[in-house]
Amino acid sequence: MSAITTPSGQPLGADAGAGHGSQPDAVPAPRGRRRTELLMLVFVVGVVVLAYANVGLGLNGKIPAGMFEYGLAFAVLVGAAHLAVRWLAPYADPLLLPLAALLNGLGIVMIYRLQESGRDGNPGNVISTMSTSTTTFQVVYSALGIAAFVAVLAFIRQPRTLQRYTYTLGAVGLVLLALPALLPSSISEVPGTGAKIQIALGGFTVQPEEFAKLCLAVFFAGYLVAKRDVLALAGRRILGIDLPRARDLGPVLIAWGASLVVLIFESDIGTSALFFGLFVVMMYVATQRSSWLIIGFLLFLFGSLVTAELFQHVRDRFIIWLDPFKYVHTVTPSSYQTVQGLYGMGFGGVLGRGLGQGQPYLTPLVQSDFITTAFGEELGLAGMMALLIIYGLIVQRGLRAAIAVRDPFSKLLAGGLAFVVALQVFVIVGGVTGLIPLTGITTPFLSQGGSSLISSWMLIALLMRISDTARRPAPQPIQDEGMTQVVRAG
Amino acid sequence: MNRALRRVSLICLVLFVALLINVNWVQGFEASSLASKPGNGRTFSASLQFQRGSIVTADQKVVAYSTMNKNFGEYQRHYPGGAVYAPVTGFDTLFSQTGIEQAENKDLSGTDPALEVHNLLDLISGKPKKGATVELTINSAAQQAAYNELKATGKQGGVVAINPQTGAILALASYPSFDPNLLATLDGNKLQKNDNRLLSDPNQPLLSRATAVTFPPGSSFKIVTSSAAFSTGKYNQNTVVPAPTQLKLPGVSQPLINFDGEACGTGRVRLIYAFTVSCNTAFGDLGMKLGGQKLRTQANQFGMNNPNLTIPFPVAESNFPLYTDPAKVAGAAIGQESDTVTPLQEAMFAAAIANNGTLMKPFLVNKVTAPDLTAVATTAQTALSQPLTPTEAAGVKQMMLNVTQSTSGTAHATAGTQATGGIVIAGKTGTAQNGINNSGLDDAVFTCFAPANSTPQIAVGVIVKGGGQGADASAPIAVKVIQAYLASLGK
Repeated sequence: MSAITTPSGQPLGADAGAGHGSQPDAVPAPRGRRRTELLMLVFVVGVVVLAYANVGLGLNGKIPAGMFEYGLAFAVLVGAAHLAVRWLAPYADPLLLPLAALLNGLGIVMIYRLQESGRDGNPGNVISTMSTSTTTFQVVYSALGIAAFVAVLAFIRQPRTLQRYTYTLGAVGLVLLALPALLPSSISEVPGTGAKIQIALGGFTVQPEEFAKLCLAVFFAGYLVAKRDVLALAGRRILGIDLPRARDLGPVLIAWGASLVVLIFESDIGTSALFFGLFVVMMYVATQRSSWLIIGFLLFLFGSLVTAELFQHVRDRFIIWLDPFKYVHTVTPSSYQTVQGLYGMGFGGVLGRGLGQGQPYLTPLVQSDFITTAFGEELGLAGMMALLIIYGLIVQRGLRAAIAVRDPFSKLLAGGLAFVVALQVFVIVGGVTGLIPLTGITTPFLSQGGSSLISSWMLIALLMRISDTARRPAPQPIQDEGMTQVVRAG
Repeated sequence: MNRALRRVSLICLVLFVALLINVNWVQGFEASSLASKPGNGRTFSASLQFQRGSIVTADQKVVAYSTMNKNFGEYQRHYPGGAVYAPVTGFDTLFSQTGIEQAENKDLSGTDPALEVHNLLDLISGKPKKGATVELTINSAAQQAAYNELKATGKQGGVVAINPQTGAILALASYPSFDPNLLATLDGNKLQKNDNRLLSDPNQPLLSRATAVTFPPGSSFKIVTSSAAFSTGKYNQNTVVPAPTQLKLPGVSQPLINFDGEACGTGRVRLIYAFTVSCNTAFGDLGMKLGGQKLRTQANQFGMNNPNLTIPFPVAESNFPLYTDPAKVAGAAIGQESDTVTPLQEAMFAAAIANNGTLMKPFLVNKVTAPDLTAVATTAQTALSQPLTPTEAAGVKQMMLNVTQSTSGTAHATAGTQATGGIVIAGKTGTAQNGINNSGLDDAVFTCFAPANSTPQIAVGVIVKGGGQGADASAPIAVKVIQAYLASLGK
């Protein structure tokens, strides 16, 4: 674990210099560890195939048809990803791909389980929002996700190259974010929720915010790397906190305003919180000034309270959160979905009902925002904690790459991407388990839907690219009797 | 930037720890309270997967049991007692449970912690999980008689019989009633239809008149007023009290009169005489002398103004507010004004007198038996209060005996020994005025216990809404219940 830590006694100034010249000490002889990755991927495929078999046994006592095909398809997909990593990012972190693959695989299994509910004499009700081809689509999306993963690794050979497109990607991100708000509701509204967050055309829907997230993370990293020295300039010191100068507040206020616009025009509290949180934390990492965290948090709190005061749909979320059981049978606000999710988790208890043996179909739209409650119901507290720890490990590996990489842009980008995973999991899992007010965003890798899955795979690819850069052995000067120095290209 | 990144890792750690603690809370600690929330479809459908415990009467008549319904693959509840036992058993559906089905749900469904060991043993020995059997205190003969007699009146009403020595409820009937089998169907559409029909029925059959509805007690409240007087030490049954034909009330133009405006003896009578013929003026005057506070204290000791009484399901509170206006105190002393009681409360009045002044806590569940026939819980008999000393209780008892045994007593014709086949009953009638300016039909009230010439075995409270005079409508019902119960004891 101590492989890539900087010495703790390092002076602040040197650290703020993003480790220029500071050698990450005690990096062991760099190894790709691709064999470790392969071994864990074999394990992942095993777990996913067994879970798939378990669903069939739980539902009707039979091994489900297509287990071999699905298992093979999944194995081929993760195998392809593994080969691509061997070829394109041989020094990348060996844990990220297996962790992501496990989540993706379990997501497919759960979607299959929900799709089969009530069909072909299985117990439970048919979930009307799912068709018999939902799982097939999810497998196709997974293939697209892994293709996107490979493409990111192939096209972005050096994370720093992204820095060139800082403003381009910033503009693309903003357009993607704003697009659903500008389109008519018939195209952009998620039916029944009032949230304008998608683009639905010809039976296919895209949630542009999922990709906006990645674009804006790159933009924030590039922008903050360029501006961090100015932003880090302290103004006054109050209560032991260095407050920034008033004129430097501009960017954070713009980000805050943009997140409020998303909130108001797209009725999407979760995404709004996600982007603002991402920006504030990246700003903090770039400047090292904890005052940004505090200012950001206060602005967010103020913004949510004001919008809760002004907008009924925001207020309803708070009201439901405070007493979900009071609004089970009311129409607005209605906590029916939240309460069914909680019932499901309670029903699962510590060890769960077993795959195929719970009643997750009682929770409306369980296959998207509430999919973690289905896991909680069928795999229990144990399974729920395992999922959270998998996410936690992804975040931890991402932050580790951020700490290890030398280039400040990559550092900031990796830190931001890792944090956005943590924040997204916190917002959605915290929402469905009643910890915080519910805001509908997807659960990375698990929820049904292509956009989230593809963008999550791209995010993993970026983290692996950065960790590959960080772990790649530095070009060794070959000293040939003091005569010439040949620098081997990295 | 690494220092900030480490801080960010710490923030992420806090976020994940918060999530982990929260899921532990929801799935570990809160799971059972979530499971017991009404409307939790998961718990309910899971509960239909195993056999719910039976409910039986004290004499082992089964009034609720479950069998496997092959069509649905779920256990189906049956209520062989039907409408007769509906106010006792209640029903068990997804969105609501009532009666014993609700109050004893944990035992019937086998989720009570006391049953865990049995469940574990069953699990090991491979026996299917089964709920515990709940044995009621109800006597089937008394229950059947109570329902039949109420039904025969065709009017709304309730009957409750208690064993005065123990507090065990022997009968608890209400009319109009409903067949709980209608709500036990596993067919969701049918259930919806039946439920809507019962809910929209203007007769409100789902409402238990025995425990959930209150009525004015009328003259039966004179038991409480007399008790209050006796407990001051200044009065006994032979104390001479004023009993004018008309009692002038301060600040009110309308005087208090006796039933049909009759005179009460010579206008100054012994309390026992006033009680026997039920003079309103004597007790109105007595009430004003005792005061609202004293009457309220006595009423509380008889179990009124108690919103927390459970038998084990909750019982509607019988009310005796604190009156300060003397005119209202006079009316309240004869069971008018805002006084309201349940038939159970009426039975408790008589039971306290029958048990030498000690009121036992009424209860409906005798014991809970695990599927392997070991008793899991037995209800302990506890005294609720002692409204009277034995001597004072003996005084009230003598007055209540006079009501049925004296030829001038209000219930002599209907509950005297000639009407009861030799059983000696002590009781008090009530005819409560109703409606605006008393334009409605009178409610008939009767509270009594028997046998009054030896150790009393049963105390009965009867209220028939719009039944007219208590002696005419309610006393015969009480007599039938007493006869049925005492006969079943003789067997």
